[in-house]
Order: sequence, then structure tokens, then C-alpha cells
Amino acid sequence: MSALCRTEWRAVGTACAAAVTADSPDETHVRAALAAAQHEVAACERELSRFDPASDLSRVNAAGGRWTHVGRRLLEALRLAVSAREATSGRFDPTVLPALAAAGYDRSFELLEERPAVAAAGWRAGAAIELDERYGRARLEPGAAVDLGGIGKGYAAGRALDAMLDASPDLAGGLVDLGGDIAVWGESPEGGPWLIAVADPRHPGQTLAVLALEDGGVATSGRDARRFGPGRSLHHLIDPETGESALAGPLTVTVVAPDPAAAEVHATTVAIAGVGEAEAYIAERPPLSALYVPQTGPPIPLGELSLATQRLVVRAA
Amino acid sequence: MQRIWIVVLSVWAMLAIVAVLAWSSRPAAPLPSTSAQTVVVKGPGGKQRLVVLKAPTHATTATSAAVRP
Repeated sequence: MSALCRTEWRAVGTACAAAVTADSPDETHVRAALAAAQHEVAACERELSRFDPASDLSRVNAAGGRWTHVGRRLLEALRLAVSAREATSGRFDPTVLPALAAAGYDRSFELLEERPAVAAAGWRAGAAIELDERYGRARLEPGAAVDLGGIGKGYAAGRALDAMLDASPDLAGGLVDLGGDIAVWGESPEGGPWLIAVADPRHPGQTLAVLALEDGGVATSGRDARRFGPGRSLHHLIDPETGESALAGPLTVTVVAPDPAAAEVHATTVAIAGVGEAEAYIAERPPLSALYVPQTGPPIPLGELSLATQRLVVRAA
Repeated sequence: MQRIWIVVLSVWAMLAIVAVLAWSSRPAAPLPSTSAQTVVVKGPGGKQRLVVLKAPTHATTATSAAVRP
């Protein structure tokens, strides 16, 4: 049986891991694959982070509406974010950064200081993002700023998985986990799909469910973490309609999608939706599945996801 | 008269067999959803994925927590 060869490190403000299915961790191609994943995540962070003043994104945000040359990763991530804004009718909006900063999330989370929220003067949703693919440039509407927090880790996880496979095309399977935004491909060391635990937001340390995936992405978004402000009353999920921390929405939602960037986008979107809206949203997008954990009450499976009873498990096995 | 009794007994036997079969194939009563620990997923190709109960997992998805440097 193959072994799980895994490496862990810290990047993009959270705990990261990469793993491959291989016969031995000492094999050169295994080390090359894991190193490629780390290298790719670092490259994504250099371009996409809003907390690094030297990143490509920070330079675009600070350019005051002027064209800025950016790396291909940021260009692609911005293109995906703009597409996602159109596909979600603005429920996902990467230009919420001024509202998020006004609410108090204006620096890396571990450095936040408690202060009251202030109004985001003049902010409105849907600010223009222009991309010049030919010359590798981007510019924003003056006064606008972008946060890729709702897509960046998923995008980076997908790229890191691709980088592993490019470095070692003969791998039987691989996994990249960036703080719970996960990309998987191929077989796990046990020979079946990769098994992804969904953390129970009400009982830390416990598992709510287990997902089995051979290819695709998983992401979870919610208001159970990254809370800030007076009495930790605010959270990072900004409703583009109000510019404030969303009132409606689940405690957490986990979305399964064909790729991890899409999973993160849709998790971010459903995380500010009531259960009825979430149900319709997932039903309209057949590739998606979701596990919606309301603020009170039992978890609700959406799409192709269904909670199974123990008896059904025995029959399926 | 003997034939009538044979027919009556045969009908009763058949009814008893049908009743036993119906009882034994009753659908399982669903557990309360709060106690369910497993998930079935269908991928993009419609293929049903494995159902797992308390198996070792390879990663955990959760709202990403900040990690101090």
C-alpha cells in the first residue's frame, strides 16, 4: 500500500499542508512535488496578499486608479473574481475591502486591535476592475480597493496542486490544504478517494461529517472564526448590499465544487445567505454541493450532498 | 372437500409468506439528522462517492483560523 507523504508549513496567514500518495517519502519526485506546492503558495502570496505592502495587489490598491503591471497569478485571480461577481449577481464582490477595513479588519488578523467600526465613507459595491491581459496590467476605479480573501486561498490551493502534478506527473494523487480550503486530485494512499473531515463549528475538535473526493475542491466559510471588534461582535463576511458584517447566513457552510477557487467563492457567497436563498443558490448550480450549518438547528445538506444514516452506510459499504 | 381445504391452506400460506417478506424489507427508520456523521457526495460526473463512518481523514475543512507567526 502507498504511503501518505505530507509536509506542513505556515503561509497566507494560516496553517498549510501538502500531501501526496507515494511509495516512499524519500523519493526525489515526492520531495520535488511537495517543494513545488510550497513554492507556488509563496508565489501566490507575493502577488495576492493585501497585508503585504509590496504585493502586486497592494500596489494595485494603492495606485489610485492608474494602470499597474502585475504578475500572471494576480491577473488570473482578478479575472476569476470579476467573473464570480457577475455569476453571483454581486453577492460575491472582491471590492468590499474599504467596507471590511472600516469595520475594523484593516490588517492581518493576528495584529488586529479592538476598535469600534466606522462607516466606509463613499464606498459602494461593484467598483470597476479593469484588466489588460496583453500587457499584464490591472487598474481599479479610483477610491476602490480589492480583497481576494474570498477566493485567494482556494485559487492558490488549486495552483499548488497543479504545480505538484507538473513537478511529478506520475503521482497517484495529491492534496493541498490552505487553512481549510482544500484541493484534491487522484487516489489517497488507501487507494480510494481523499477523506475530508468537516469540522463541527459548535463542538471544537469534533467532526461533523466526512467528505470523500477524488477530484475537486472544498472550502468552508463562516462566522465562527475571525471575529473582531467590540465584544467580537463583527465578522469578516461583508454583505455587499449593506457594506457591513452580514446579519443573515449560517454559522458555517462547506461547499464542494469542481475546483477549490470556485468552492471558496461559493462558500463566501452562501455564508451571507439565509437557508432558503442558499438552497435555491446551490440548486441552480448543479456541480455544487454544500453542508449548511445554521446558527441554530441541525446541519442541512444541499445539492448532491445528503446526510446518510448509519444503516445506509452499512449497505453502501 | 379435500381440494377446498388444500386451496384455503395454500392461500393462507401464500399470505403468510408475503407478510413475512414485507416485514423483513421495511425501510430503515432514519436517524435524527443531528446524529448523522456521514455524507454521500456525487461528483461532477454524477458518480456517487464513498460513504464513510468515522474513518481516518486526510485533512479538515473549517473556517480558516489565523495562525500567529
